[in-house]
Amino acid sequence: MGDYILQVNHIHKRFTSKKVCVRAVTDVSFAAKKGETIGIVGESGCGKTTLGRCIVRGIEASEGSVLYTAKDGTEYDFLNIDKKTMKKVRKEIQMIFQDPYSSLDPRMTVLDIIEEPLKANYPNMPKAEMDAKAKDMAAKVGLNPSYLMRYPHAFSGGQRQRIGIARALVLEPQVIVCDEAVSALDVSIQAQVINLLKDLQKEMDLTYLFISHDLSVVEHISDKVGVMYLGKLVEFAETDKMFAKPMHPYTEALLSAVPVADPSKQMERIPLTGEIPNPANPPDGCYFHQRCRFCIDKCTTEAPDLEAMPDGRTVACHRAKELDLGGFSYDE
Amino acid sequence: MALFKKKEKNNEDYYLASQWTLMGRKLVKHRLARISMFILGFLYISALFANFIAPYNLTAYDSKYMNLQPTKVHMFHEGNFEGPFVYGIDVERDAKTKQKIYVENDEVYKVQFFVKGSEYKLLGLFKTDRHLFGVEEGGKIFLFGADSMGRDLFSRMFLGSQISLTIPFVGASISFILGLLLGGISGYFGGMVDNVIQRVIEVLSSLPTIPLWMALSAAIPANISVVKVYLYITIILSFISWTGLARVVRGKFISLRNEDFVMAAKLAGVTDFKIILKHLVPGFLGYLIVNVTLEIPSMIIGETSMSFLGLGIRSPATSWGVLLEETKTITSIATYPWRLIPLFAVILTVLAFNFLGDGLRDAADPYK
Amino acid sequence: MKERETVIEVKDLKVNIKIDDGVLTAVRGVDFCIYKGETLGLVGESGCGKSLTSKAILGINTNNCTASGEIIFDTTAGGKKDLLKLNPRGKEIRDIRGKQISMIFQEPMVAFSPMYTIGSQINECTRLHITKDKGKSKELSLAMMKKVGIANAEKRYDQYPHEFSGGMLQRALIAMALVCNPKMLIADEPTTALDVTIQAQILELMQELQKEMGMAILFITHDLGTVAKMCERVAVMYLGKIVEVATADELYANPRHPYTKGLMGSVHKIGAKKTERLFSIEGTVPLALNLPPGCGFYERCHERIEGVCNVREPELTDIGGGKLEHQISCFACMNPSCEEKKEDPVHG
Repeated sequence: MGDYILQVNHIHKRFTSKKVCVRAVTDVSFAAKKGETIGIVGESGCGKTTLGRCIVRGIEASEGSVLYTAKDGTEYDFLNIDKKTMKKVRKEIQMIFQDPYSSLDPRMTVLDIIEEPLKANYPNMPKAEMDAKAKDMAAKVGLNPSYLMRYPHAFSGGQRQRIGIARALVLEPQVIVCDEAVSALDVSIQAQVINLLKDLQKEMDLTYLFISHDLSVVEHISDKVGVMYLGKLVEFAETDKMFAKPMHPYTEALLSAVPVADPSKQMERIPLTGEIPNPANPPDGCYFHQRCRFCIDKCTTEAPDLEAMPDGRTVACHRAKELDLGGFSYDE
Repeated sequence: MALFKKKEKNNEDYYLASQWTLMGRKLVKHRLARISMFILGFLYISALFANFIAPYNLTAYDSKYMNLQPTKVHMFHEGNFEGPFVYGIDVERDAKTKQKIYVENDEVYKVQFFVKGSEYKLLGLFKTDRHLFGVEEGGKIFLFGADSMGRDLFSRMFLGSQISLTIPFVGASISFILGLLLGGISGYFGGMVDNVIQRVIEVLSSLPTIPLWMALSAAIPANISVVKVYLYITIILSFISWTGLARVVRGKFISLRNEDFVMAAKLAGVTDFKIILKHLVPGFLGYLIVNVTLEIPSMIIGETSMSFLGLGIRSPATSWGVLLEETKTITSIATYPWRLIPLFAVILTVLAFNFLGDGLRDAADPYK
Repeated sequence: MKERETVIEVKDLKVNIKIDDGVLTAVRGVDFCIYKGETLGLVGESGCGKSLTSKAILGINTNNCTASGEIIFDTTAGGKKDLLKLNPRGKEIRDIRGKQISMIFQEPMVAFSPMYTIGSQINECTRLHITKDKGKSKELSLAMMKKVGIANAEKRYDQYPHEFSGGMLQRALIAMALVCNPKMLIADEPTTALDVTIQAQILELMQELQKEMGMAILFITHDLGTVAKMCERVAVMYLGKIVEVATADELYANPRHPYTKGLMGSVHKIGAKKTERLFSIEGTVPLALNLPPGCGFYERCHERIEGVCNVREPELTDIGGGKLEHQISCFACMNPSCEEKKEDPVHG
């Protein structure tokens, strides 16, 4: 697998009820190297949260595989291993949640919350050792260890998020999926938590899958970015390259819609007509064709696959090679 | 939001308070709930010591004093302070209506405390014959009047409270267990099991409660022991009410199942069973307690109604419902209005449980 | 500075909230004005009091809030009136709400009643303020719906809120707010709950409508990007007070108050060169209960002067020198030399 720690291959997730089949995630593939941060962006209904949960096996994917290289060097298909192996490997892939209020059980003390993963995986570990590890982790994420006997309601949103981070890290994982981990926080607290995540990444050699709708944050923190639309990955590229020059029309429209925190640098917006289609009833051909200003006949009948481009990125567009799209020009 | 987070006087206290502590604190602040707790505490303690408080036992009667009006307790006799006492009662006939009327005479019977009276077992354990109060030999103290057999209503009310207050409690406990079990199974397994249980619940809930209770109690055989009757009645009462609780449990189960912290536990490797025990059950325990508390008033009314119609508790055991049976006719209420006193006891208890339940419900969600 | 007509002037606005443990001084003396036809941004994080300020203008805060100060609004018929002196349940303020000052909120999904059609709810506004004639009223509502870009307005008029998407609902909300041609629109985080592409559409719609209808907008948000796009002037709020006011260009180019500087440094500007670390302001917002004397930002400020900043509270002072509009409320950063300090997060 080379130096890839995580290879996500053709993941599908369908939610079916009697009459309706909602395709939340359709054929998503990408790879991450150790120590990288992969950003996944998209608007509501694009399936990014579902994708994240499938990867950690919080919910079960309908199809697909996730090749993961564990600490001991073995490669596992995380989605298709037996229960016993999963119990062993699961420790190394963890998640941080969006809502600081519902992600912590209000009826447990913070110490218990951080120790719970230890209790579940190392039942023979003496309490003293568990306490020490928990306190250590708390200090690492910037929490005062003497506050650990308090209940979650005693902490602010930013602090609760730190507790969530401590809980995710106590098992010493290699991969962490951050599901909108800073979206519910105030701007100044966001900055604190983002800095913390970056520091921890360096210190513990973590690989992040950073799911967010906030493009500014994603640009700041990610090495590579994947853009999702209606369950499909439409473009996957290195951050700098994508933001400077996107190759998929949706990426271009998305980037142009983000308001820049600088009045002198407002981008010309690419208008998108129409609305996001219903995921239970997606259009034929390319999912984006109805709103795309470069749509041709082929787009209405044939869905494009992710194709590799010369600069290393992948794009799902029939006309990717011929279009000349605009992005952000960087300050000099 | 920083602005709206409350700051308690002793911060550390608040930070270290678990869910139950916070709930308890909030409950105590709720005025009506506080008052209700005192009232209910008083009622249950007096039910516990009913045999002691009541001057007469269940079987005592005196046909000489049928339908006697409530005895007046006097303090002064011919101007002198004598301490509490009652006058003797003479029976006379009203000239016009030929009806018996009771008139106080001159004989003074002092009220005594801790008197010897009929024997009973205190708390079912100790044999004793002491009562809280009574009168000297020859006098009668009927504080709430007498019924048509000359039995003291005051005593019967307190003795009856033992049944009227405990049956709903026992019934509610059975409902609690059934509701927790069946609702939990329904919510956890889902699928066919859930379907079947929910349909059963729907059928049971669609039956009108009190008529069903009455129909079932009419089926209780006539000549069985008091204890067995008691048992049958509690089972009948909890027969339907577990359904409401099971639904609450199932609903809470399903909603809590989707909370992020449950998924976090799953990702940490915690087993399903432990998740249920540690994360889900404490989550809905509060709601369950609230629901059970609010079920009790309807059970009180249920038992009272059944007994009122002669279908529940049988003689010589008594409950408030049995006492109210005598108030079925207008003439009885018009002539002997004191017979309605047990009604106020029922109302008071039902209101107290309702307010307590309200207070519990308000206190149950200290986090939101 | 040239004399411009003001639509509303807020002077020394204070809002206190009564809670169990005492009184929360949520808004501690706010002054600002909005000129005719301009968009003023009110920026701040949660807990700074911006929503309370805006609700105080229309008198719609909850019963445990008391407001003091002056809010002078230039009413259409009656000249300048102090809105705080009006009875919050009285006829006068109701005449202003929806007709002269309108408000739109963050969650369009809950701003409409699910029991009535969108059309009838927009109509409620016109029938209340403009005409009781059903036909004319419907005409006005339909016209407004078309103006805000709701396609198929006639059909949509009879549809219920659940049949609309988030973006459509926000358009409908804007239609309802503007159908009576108010002088001022208060927009409280109107695009926070929307997707990026929809947000862009809504913001552009608001700009177009403002150009056409000429109303002033008080735009409340925590998102610095939206502010840069929408607002001509910006006021930054912290802990119940305005700490800096300037034109948008000036504010983003030369933020002077330590809090503003911190805030700007905390946000990564999209498309800009990547920085290693974001600047983060230490600590958290304190509770507005029993605040110590001095500046509210003292505890977290890098440039505080002990003995000065924790003793007296600074007032909004003009530093633009008559040429630029720029006021800050700070003792430490009055001089331009303060920008040359080493730890300047924006330019450093």
